[in-house]
Amino acid sequence: MNKKRNIVTVLGWIFVVCIIIFSFINKAEKPPATAELYTMNTIVNIKIYGNNKEIILKELIKKIEEINSYIDSFSPSSDIYKINENAGIKTVAVHPETIAIIEKALELAHNTNGAFNPLITPLSQIWGFRDKNYRIPSEKEIEDALNLTDYNDIIINKDTVFLKKEGEALDLGGIAKGYTLDCLKEILDKMNGERALINIGGNILLYGTPPDKQWKIGIKNPREDGIIGALNIEGTKFISTSGDYERFFIKDNKRYCHLISPFNGYPADKIFSVTVVSDKGYYGDALSTAFFITGKNDALQDVKKFEVDIIVIDKDLNVFCSEELKDSFIPENEKG
Amino acid sequence: MKKGDKLLALILVVVFIFAIGQYTFINISKTKRAIIIRSDGEIVQQIPLNETTEIITTIKSKEGAVTVQIKNGKVHIIESTCHDKLCVKQGWISRTGESIVCLPNRISISIVGEEKNEIDSITH
Repeated sequence: MNKKRNIVTVLGWIFVVCIIIFSFINKAEKPPATAELYTMNTIVNIKIYGNNKEIILKELIKKIEEINSYIDSFSPSSDIYKINENAGIKTVAVHPETIAIIEKALELAHNTNGAFNPLITPLSQIWGFRDKNYRIPSEKEIEDALNLTDYNDIIINKDTVFLKKEGEALDLGGIAKGYTLDCLKEILDKMNGERALINIGGNILLYGTPPDKQWKIGIKNPREDGIIGALNIEGTKFISTSGDYERFFIKDNKRYCHLISPFNGYPADKIFSVTVVSDKGYYGDALSTAFFITGKNDALQDVKKFEVDIIVIDKDLNVFCSEELKDSFIPENEKG
Repeated sequence: MKKGDKLLALILVVVFIFAIGQYTFINISKTKRAIIIRSDGEIVQQIPLNETTEIITTIKSKEGAVTVQIKNGKVHIIESTCHDKLCVKQGWISRTGESIVCLPNRISISIVGEEKNEIDSITH
């Protein structure tokens, strides 16, 4: 009798332990705090896990809205709008954060020999990408617009900014999203964030380590629905992509995309897309634009100089990965 | 067996069934796919997604409206009040982690669920 009883008791305890373990496994991962907002001319998605997630989420949103208020070139109250309105006329006092972003933009403009250009606006304008009134401009128009894209005309003096020529206009759209991600990473560091995924219009911050150790990030197929493949990424990284499929128009069977070469004034057409994986958000954002302009060979050569990794999709949909990413990229068709 | 043994045996059976039930239930809810539709950033519809789901629905926002079709485990936007129609041109999505966004109308459609090959986000 006693023996039987012991067996039953032992079994009982085993079950109790199993149940406790089960409930721990299932409750280990609490749902994230999430937000979707429309700002910076795009959509922002935030997912944040761990303690304090709600408080951190609020701080992140505050920072995004703050930076947007300085740099939104369509809003009359923004620093950038004021700088552009006063181009060739007078200096404008702006917020230190605006100065910081412009300085980063100039750093990247110099380091990419002008492939990234924060004064590209006059060219975007004549191709119709500012007002969505797409058209092919005349040679004369392109020449005139090119004369307004010399980034050495951006004069920073303490907390003021001045553009030398009337008609010049700053556009930080190619760097501000990445810069913002840098600021958000700082907030997560300071507030002991555990894990977060933030996507600002395709520019992504991966923060921390997911339960299955690696993040899986899909890369948009430039010509078809869905993704062309996925990247397995470990730890905290920034990912940005520039492609010819986001904003474009087609005339006489030729595609004209919104990324215009500051070298000749025409939409770049060397590759379909380039994705940059980096440790600095503003690098990824601006370099994806610059690499899209310069094309596959130059981009792959510059990878070491900037300490980034890239994936280039050429005009035949061939995928080229820089050395470090060769084992991390899984083509979509091999997944079965 | 004594009365206590019987009681313990009964408790064990109940606990066992409960454990199996919970395990299965959680596994089902983990693999369940759904479409989440947000308008102006707020969730307005949550639709379970499987091969037989067939729905056409119109979503409104402060800015405009889009019409969404769900069929054969896939979803796309068939009509939109926006100017550039990029959301319509984007075509079908079918994978967890994928989404269609109509920026001018501030409406987003995303596929969620937990699968083995799930992607966390998409860069574009």
